[in-house]
Amino acid sequence: MEIRFAGVTKQFPPDIVAIQDIFLTISKGEFVYLVGPTGSGKTTILRTVTRELLPTKGQVTVGDVNIRKMSSYDLAYLRRDIGVVFQDFRLLPSLTVYENIAFVQEDIGVPPADVKKRTNDVLDRLGLWRRRFLYPEQISGGEQQRAAIGRAIANSPSVLLADEPTGNLDIHTAEEIMQLLLSINASGTTVVVATHNQHIVDAYKQRVVELRKGRIVRDEKKGRYEVDGDL
Amino acid sequence: MATFRYILRDTWRLLSRHWGLSLLTLLTSVAVFFLVGVSFLFVLNTRYLVATVEGDLVVQAYVVNSPEALETVARKASTYDSVSSVRIVTSDEALERLRARLGKQAEAVSLLDENPLPPSVEIQVKRAVFASVIVRELISMPEVEDVVYAGAVVERLERISSFVARLSLVILFISMASASLVLFNTIRISAYGRKEEINTMLLVGATRNFVIFPYVFQGVILGTCGALISAVFLWFSYGFAIETLQRSLPFLDLLTDPGVILRLGAVLVSAGVAVGWICSWLAASRFIRLASRSH
Repeated sequence: MEIRFAGVTKQFPPDIVAIQDIFLTISKGEFVYLVGPTGSGKTTILRTVTRELLPTKGQVTVGDVNIRKMSSYDLAYLRRDIGVVFQDFRLLPSLTVYENIAFVQEDIGVPPADVKKRTNDVLDRLGLWRRRFLYPEQISGGEQQRAAIGRAIANSPSVLLADEPTGNLDIHTAEEIMQLLLSINASGTTVVVATHNQHIVDAYKQRVVELRKGRIVRDEKKGRYEVDGDL
Repeated sequence: MATFRYILRDTWRLLSRHWGLSLLTLLTSVAVFFLVGVSFLFVLNTRYLVATVEGDLVVQAYVVNSPEALETVARKASTYDSVSSVRIVTSDEALERLRARLGKQAEAVSLLDENPLPPSVEIQVKRAVFASVIVRELISMPEVEDVVYAGAVVERLERISSFVARLSLVILFISMASASLVLFNTIRISAYGRKEEINTMLLVGATRNFVIFPYVFQGVILGTCGALISAVFLWFSYGFAIETLQRSLPFLDLLTDPGVILRLGAVLVSAGVAVGWICSWLAASRFIRLASRSH
């Protein structure tokens, strides 16, 4: 599924411009890093793709659809095809790891037998099988991150958006998460990762889109991190 | 089908996770629906009492002692729609009635030389409110000497009945409003407690209906169970009240038909379903509409 930003600006009241005049096309099956200092607009771009935020100006197209013109019903269907890994995980504290991964499938009416099979596959793939009956607060940060990725990929989405998926993780766990995202991408899923992690970006060279003060200042295939003043 | 099962499971989760709040709402709705039921029974009994008294209401028109006059008055009375029956009571029949009423002292009547009782026309009206109109019409007839009826008492009863009906409507309105408010707030608090969860569900592609329906079912279950429990309480407490009243005030004619309570129970349960559905739908849909709005 292709994602296209055409002259997109997002302004928050009264006059905070989060992103400005963004022209960006992410092709089907691509792996893209969004890099830039805090407040540069990375998360805003991700939130606009899921229409959590509506652009103030310009047009965001996901697949063939202008997201502004979608009904709430169509939007629900679009979101089922976009997996999101939130910066703060947003795992539901009252559900176990298994239930957290299963509930997104239940939301869309997948039959219980299929939910069980798919969830077990995801748990196995993410190395969370032995943690499946534990609650989010009972597992480590890295495991929570993996559970969040598990939830995002449970419905086999066409697009995976990950906001700081390696934030607060040690290098070893961060590399594990990256391997996982690359393998998801290898299966044909478009992956967009907003990150601060220079080590990761430089180690796994992919397309890099650099943002600064809400504008795209660099768009490079197989790029490096190279962000000034981001320490 | 799978979606329905998930919705039912989520409904159970909502009810059990906030069980204290659920129990409080259930108890409130039991109390409110019980109050509604009691008001209904009060109105029904007052109306029944008035209707019973009205059924016995007779206007007695005393007429000059001539068969033609009696016929004329009886014919005139029969023309009114509000009259249920007209009967001519001759002087002899009136004397017989007096004898029957006097019982052991009936011998005293035989001491009279001639029958002093005038003939009359006995008119039974359908409702007390019509009595005074008929009395006015009759009294203006030259053949009629006097009219006697207990209409004033019944009219007063009628006024009390209509006041009770109005008062009960007010009680009904207040009770239903408070039941609605309690249910509305419970669902809102419940939805607010799951704010993050709802946001996440909407972001991963749940439809609004999928998110709303557990809350609606929660409201319907609480409303229906509250009404059902109150109907059971009503059944037993009304039976007990009737038994006690009939023992201490045997002349009081009250509704004893169990069908009335059963029908009232059905009305209460239907009201419980409706109130539960409407309130929870309003509370949850408003919250979810706000949660799902793009900024």
